[in-house]
Amino acid sequence: MDPSVTGIQEPFDLIRLSLSERVFVKLRGDRELTGILHAYDGHMNLIMSDVEETIMIVDPDNIANGQNVVNVAKRKMDMLFVRGDGVILVSPPSRT
Amino acid sequence: MASQILPLELIDKCIGSKIWVIMKSEREFTGTLLGFDDYVNIVLEDVTEFETTAQGVKKTKLAQTLLNGSNIAMLIPGSDGPESS
Amino acid sequence: MDESPRPPSPSRQSQSPPPPPPQSHTGSPTDFLKGVVGKRVVVRLTSGVDYRGVLSCLDGFMNIALEQTEEHVNGVITNRYGDTFVRGNNVLYISAAEPL
Repeated sequence: MDPSVTGIQEPFDLIRLSLSERVFVKLRGDRELTGILHAYDGHMNLIMSDVEETIMIVDPDNIANGQNVVNVAKRKMDMLFVRGDGVILVSPPSRT
Repeated sequence: MASQILPLELIDKCIGSKIWVIMKSEREFTGTLLGFDDYVNIVLEDVTEFETTAQGVKKTKLAQTLLNGSNIAMLIPGSDGPESS
Repeated sequence: MDESPRPPSPSRQSQSPPPPPPQSHTGSPTDFLKGVVGKRVVVRLTSGVDYRGVLSCLDGFMNIALEQTEEHVNGVITNRYGDTFVRGNNVLYISAAEPL
Protein backbone atom coordinates (compact mmCIF):
# COMPACT_ATOMS: atom_id res chain seq x y z
CA MET A 1 0.00 0.00 0.00
CA ASP A 2 1.21 3.48 -0.80
CA PRO A 3 2.83 4.91 2.34
CA SER A 4 1.42 8.40 1.70
CA VAL A 5 -2.08 6.99 2.20
CA THR A 6 -2.56 6.67 5.91
CA GLY A 7 -5.62 4.81 7.10
CA ILE A 8 -7.30 4.34 3.70
CA GLN A 9 -8.10 0.70 2.95
CA GLU A 10 -11.21 1.27 0.87
CA PRO A 11 -12.59 4.25 -1.05
CA PHE A 12 -15.27 5.02 1.54
CA ASP A 13 -12.52 5.69 4.11
CA LEU A 14 -11.79 8.85 2.15
CA ILE A 15 -15.34 10.01 2.77
CA ARG A 16 -15.33 8.89 6.42
CA LEU A 17 -12.24 11.01 7.07
CA SER A 18 -14.01 14.01 5.52
CA LEU A 19 -16.99 14.09 7.91
CA SER A 20 -17.50 17.59 9.35
CA GLU A 21 -15.16 18.98 6.67
CA ARG A 22 -15.90 21.12 3.62
CA VAL A 23 -15.99 18.87 0.55
CA PHE A 24 -16.34 19.34 -3.19
CA VAL A 25 -18.98 17.16 -4.89
CA LYS A 26 -19.42 16.77 -8.65
CA LEU A 27 -22.87 15.64 -9.77
CA ARG A 28 -24.40 14.51 -13.05
CA GLY A 29 -25.93 17.34 -15.07
CA ASP A 30 -22.94 19.69 -14.78
CA ARG A 31 -23.64 20.51 -11.15
CA GLU A 32 -21.06 21.05 -8.44
CA LEU A 33 -21.48 21.49 -4.69
CA THR A 34 -19.24 22.64 -1.89
CA GLY A 35 -20.41 22.27 1.69
CA ILE A 36 -19.88 20.66 5.07
CA LEU A 37 -20.34 16.86 4.96
CA HIS A 38 -22.47 15.59 7.84
CA ALA A 39 -23.49 12.08 6.81
CA TYR A 40 -23.14 9.52 4.03
CA ASP A 41 -24.14 5.91 3.35
CA GLY A 42 -23.17 3.07 1.03
CA HIS A 43 -25.19 4.56 -1.85
CA MET A 44 -23.19 7.76 -1.45
CA ASN A 45 -26.37 9.54 -0.32
CA LEU A 46 -25.07 12.67 1.42
CA ILE A 47 -26.24 15.20 3.98
CA MET A 48 -24.47 18.53 3.55
CA SER A 49 -24.90 21.95 5.15
CA ASP A 50 -23.85 25.48 4.25
CA VAL A 51 -23.90 24.41 0.60
CA GLU A 52 -23.11 26.45 -2.48
CA GLU A 53 -24.31 24.90 -5.73
CA THR A 54 -22.70 25.82 -9.05
CA ILE A 55 -24.54 24.95 -12.27
CA MET A 56 -22.51 25.12 -15.48
CA ILE A 57 -24.57 26.18 -18.46
CA VAL A 58 -22.68 24.64 -21.36
CA ASP A 59 -22.64 25.94 -24.92
CA PRO A 60 -22.79 22.84 -27.15
CA ASP A 61 -21.50 24.80 -30.20
CA ASN A 62 -18.23 25.41 -28.44
CA ILE A 63 -17.67 22.00 -26.92
CA ALA A 64 -14.44 21.14 -28.77
CA ASN A 65 -12.14 23.42 -26.77
CA GLY A 66 -11.88 23.45 -23.01
CA GLN A 67 -13.62 26.81 -22.73
CA ASN A 68 -17.16 25.62 -23.26
CA VAL A 69 -18.79 27.02 -20.14
CA VAL A 70 -20.65 30.16 -21.14
CA ASN A 71 -22.56 30.78 -17.94
CA VAL A 72 -22.45 29.79 -14.31
CA ALA A 73 -25.37 29.97 -11.91
CA LYS A 74 -24.85 29.79 -8.16
CA ARG A 75 -27.22 29.40 -5.22
CA LYS A 76 -26.97 28.55 -1.55
CA MET A 77 -28.78 26.01 0.62
CA ASP A 78 -28.58 25.65 4.40
CA MET A 79 -29.11 21.88 4.55
CA LEU A 80 -29.22 19.39 1.70
CA PHE A 81 -29.81 15.68 1.02
CA VAL A 82 -28.02 14.44 -2.12
CA ARG A 83 -29.22 11.19 -3.69
CA GLY A 84 -26.20 8.94 -4.20
CA ASP A 85 -26.84 7.88 -7.77
CA GLY A 86 -26.17 11.41 -9.04
CA VAL A 87 -22.73 11.60 -7.48
CA ILE A 88 -19.73 11.45 -9.84
CA LEU A 89 -16.95 12.33 -7.40
CA VAL A 90 -16.27 13.65 -3.92
CA SER A 91 -13.05 15.46 -3.12
CA PRO A 92 -12.21 16.07 0.52
CA PRO A 93 -10.16 19.08 1.66
CA SER A 94 -6.47 18.71 0.90
CA ARG A 95 -4.62 16.71 3.57
CA THR A 96 -1.27 18.33 2.76
CA MET B 1 -30.33 -30.10 -24.50
CA ALA B 2 -30.15 -26.36 -24.14
CA SER B 3 -26.65 -25.57 -25.36
CA GLN B 4 -23.35 -27.40 -25.47
CA ILE B 5 -21.28 -24.43 -24.42
CA LEU B 6 -21.93 -21.41 -22.25
CA PRO B 7 -21.27 -17.95 -23.73
CA LEU B 8 -18.52 -17.17 -21.23
CA GLU B 9 -16.85 -20.52 -21.92
CA LEU B 10 -16.35 -19.31 -25.47
CA ILE B 11 -14.85 -16.06 -24.24
CA ASP B 12 -12.61 -18.05 -21.90
CA LYS B 13 -11.13 -19.80 -24.93
CA CYS B 14 -10.19 -16.37 -26.34
CA ILE B 15 -7.84 -15.47 -23.48
CA GLY B 16 -4.49 -14.53 -25.01
CA SER B 17 -6.11 -13.67 -28.37
CA LYS B 18 -7.22 -10.42 -29.93
CA ILE B 19 -10.74 -9.32 -29.14
CA TRP B 20 -13.02 -6.47 -30.25
CA VAL B 21 -15.25 -4.95 -27.58
CA ILE B 22 -18.28 -2.85 -28.55
CA MET B 23 -19.76 -0.70 -25.79
CA LYS B 24 -23.39 0.38 -25.42
CA SER B 25 -22.30 3.88 -26.46
CA GLU B 26 -20.39 4.94 -29.59
CA ARG B 27 -17.16 3.52 -28.26
CA GLU B 28 -15.13 0.41 -29.13
CA PHE B 29 -11.94 -1.20 -27.91
CA THR B 30 -9.52 -3.75 -29.35
CA GLY B 31 -6.69 -5.50 -27.60
CA THR B 32 -5.39 -8.80 -26.31
CA LEU B 33 -7.76 -10.43 -23.80
CA LEU B 34 -5.97 -11.13 -20.52
CA GLY B 35 -8.97 -12.08 -18.41
CA PHE B 36 -12.52 -11.41 -17.33
CA ASP B 37 -14.94 -12.15 -14.48
CA ASP B 38 -18.59 -13.13 -14.08
CA TYR B 39 -19.72 -9.50 -14.57
CA VAL B 40 -17.83 -9.53 -17.91
CA ASN B 41 -15.47 -6.88 -16.59
CA ILE B 42 -12.58 -7.32 -19.03
CA VAL B 43 -8.82 -6.85 -18.81
CA LEU B 44 -7.11 -5.98 -22.12
CA GLU B 45 -3.51 -5.38 -23.11
CA ASP B 46 -2.12 -3.26 -26.00
CA VAL B 47 -5.45 -1.52 -26.27
CA THR B 48 -6.82 0.85 -28.88
CA GLU B 49 -9.92 2.86 -28.02
CA PHE B 50 -12.15 4.06 -30.89
CA GLU B 51 -14.56 6.86 -30.09
CA THR B 52 -17.01 7.76 -32.84
CA THR B 53 -18.06 11.41 -32.76
CA ALA B 54 -19.55 13.88 -35.22
CA GLN B 55 -15.97 14.93 -35.99
CA GLY B 56 -14.92 11.36 -36.88
CA VAL B 57 -13.25 8.47 -35.10
CA LYS B 58 -10.80 9.36 -32.33
CA LYS B 59 -8.20 6.69 -31.56
CA THR B 60 -6.38 6.37 -28.24
CA LYS B 61 -3.65 3.85 -27.35
CA LEU B 62 -3.77 2.42 -23.83
CA ALA B 63 -1.65 0.04 -21.74
CA GLN B 64 -3.27 -2.66 -19.57
CA THR B 65 -6.87 -1.62 -19.03
CA LEU B 66 -9.85 -2.88 -17.00
CA LEU B 67 -13.15 -2.26 -18.81
CA ASN B 68 -16.25 -1.93 -16.65
CA GLY B 69 -18.61 -4.71 -17.74
CA SER B 70 -21.73 -2.65 -17.20
CA ASN B 71 -21.01 -0.63 -20.34
CA ILE B 72 -20.16 -3.56 -22.64
CA ALA B 73 -22.63 -4.56 -25.35
CA MET B 74 -20.79 -7.11 -27.53
CA LEU B 75 -17.54 -9.04 -27.83
CA ILE B 76 -16.09 -10.22 -31.15
CA PRO B 77 -13.41 -12.88 -30.56
CA GLY B 78 -10.35 -13.04 -32.76
CA SER B 79 -10.96 -9.68 -34.41
CA ASP B 80 -8.55 -6.78 -34.85
CA GLY B 81 -11.49 -4.42 -34.64
CA PRO B 82 -13.34 -1.89 -36.78
CA GLU B 83 -10.40 -1.32 -39.16
CA SER B 84 -9.80 -4.99 -40.00
CA SER B 85 -12.96 -5.79 -41.96
CA MET C 1 -27.91 7.29 -19.27
CA ASP C 2 -28.62 3.65 -19.79
CA GLU C 3 -27.17 1.41 -17.12
CA SER C 4 -27.85 -2.12 -16.04
CA PRO C 5 -28.49 -2.57 -12.33
CA ARG C 6 -26.14 -5.45 -11.72
CA PRO C 7 -22.93 -5.00 -9.75
CA PRO C 8 -20.32 -3.60 -9.85
CA SER C 9 -22.19 -0.57 -11.22
CA PRO C 10 -25.62 -0.47 -9.64
CA SER C 11 -27.57 2.45 -11.03
CA ARG C 12 -30.37 1.84 -8.57
CA GLN C 13 -29.79 2.21 -4.89
CA SER C 14 -28.90 -1.39 -4.25
CA GLN C 15 -25.35 -1.32 -2.97
CA SER C 16 -24.64 -4.39 -0.89
CA PRO C 17 -21.32 -6.21 -1.07
CA PRO C 18 -21.07 -8.17 -4.32
CA PRO C 19 -19.90 -11.77 -4.33
CA PRO C 20 -16.18 -12.13 -5.01
CA PRO C 21 -15.47 -13.05 -8.63
CA PRO C 22 -14.91 -16.82 -8.69
CA GLN C 23 -12.55 -16.71 -11.70
CA SER C 24 -8.93 -17.63 -11.01
CA HIS C 25 -7.11 -16.71 -14.24
CA THR C 26 -3.92 -14.81 -13.99
CA GLY C 27 -4.85 -11.61 -15.79
CA SER C 28 -8.33 -11.51 -14.29
CA PRO C 29 -9.80 -8.15 -13.23
CA THR C 30 -8.87 -8.90 -9.61
CA ASP C 31 -5.25 -9.64 -10.55
CA PHE C 32 -5.08 -6.50 -12.67
CA LEU C 33 -6.35 -4.39 -9.78
CA LYS C 34 -3.90 -5.93 -7.31
CA GLY C 35 -1.09 -4.97 -9.67
CA VAL C 36 -2.24 -1.42 -10.31
CA VAL C 37 -2.90 -0.17 -6.74
CA GLY C 38 -0.30 2.46 -5.84
CA LYS C 39 0.47 3.10 -9.54
CA ARG C 40 -0.49 6.00 -11.82
CA VAL C 41 -3.73 5.29 -13.67
CA VAL C 42 -6.20 6.88 -16.05
CA VAL C 43 -9.82 6.51 -14.97
CA ARG C 44 -12.18 7.36 -17.84
CA LEU C 45 -15.83 7.99 -17.01
CA THR C 46 -18.67 7.19 -19.41
CA SER C 47 -19.02 10.97 -19.91
CA GLY C 48 -15.53 10.97 -21.48
CA VAL C 49 -13.92 12.91 -18.62
CA ASP C 50 -10.56 11.47 -17.49
CA TYR C 51 -9.11 11.43 -13.99
CA ARG C 52 -5.35 10.86 -13.83
CA GLY C 53 -3.73 10.11 -10.50
CA VAL C 54 -2.29 7.50 -8.16
CA LEU C 55 -4.75 4.70 -7.38
CA SER C 56 -5.14 4.51 -3.57
CA CYS C 57 -7.72 1.74 -3.46
CA LEU C 58 -11.02 0.55 -4.85
CA ASP C 59 -13.92 -1.76 -3.96
CA GLY C 60 -16.18 -4.27 -5.70
CA PHE C 61 -18.42 -1.52 -7.10
CA MET C 62 -15.41 0.09 -8.81
CA ASN C 63 -15.71 2.99 -6.40
CA ILE C 64 -12.22 4.47 -6.60
CA ALA C 65 -9.99 6.58 -4.35
CA LEU C 66 -7.31 8.54 -6.24
CA GLU C 67 -4.46 10.76 -5.00
CA GLN C 68 -2.84 13.70 -6.82
CA THR C 69 -5.79 13.77 -9.16
CA GLU C 70 -5.93 15.75 -12.39
CA GLU C 71 -9.25 16.15 -14.21
CA HIS C 72 -8.84 16.16 -18.00
CA VAL C 73 -11.64 17.24 -20.36
CA ASN C 74 -10.84 17.01 -24.08
CA GLY C 75 -7.14 16.73 -23.21
CA VAL C 76 -7.13 19.93 -21.12
CA ILE C 77 -6.54 19.91 -17.35
CA THR C 78 -9.67 21.42 -15.83
CA ASN C 79 -9.16 20.70 -12.10
CA ARG C 80 -6.68 19.32 -9.59
CA TYR C 81 -7.69 17.58 -6.36
CA GLY C 82 -5.58 16.18 -3.54
CA ASP C 83 -7.81 13.16 -3.04
CA THR C 84 -10.81 12.03 -5.01
CA PHE C 85 -13.59 9.51 -4.47
CA VAL C 86 -15.13 8.44 -7.79
CA ARG C 87 -18.46 6.59 -7.63
CA GLY C 88 -18.07 3.31 -9.51
CA ASN C 89 -21.16 3.49 -11.70
CA ASN C 90 -19.57 6.35 -13.66
CA VAL C 91 -16.41 4.38 -14.50
CA LEU C 92 -15.85 3.27 -18.11
CA TYR C 93 -12.33 1.92 -17.59
CA ILE C 94 -9.22 1.97 -15.42
CA SER C 95 -6.02 1.95 -17.45
CA ALA C 96 -2.41 1.70 -16.27
CA ALA C 97 -0.56 4.94 -17.03
CA GLU C 98 2.85 3.40 -16.29
CA PRO C 99 4.29 -0.08 -17.01
CA LEU C 100 3.09 -2.76 -14.57
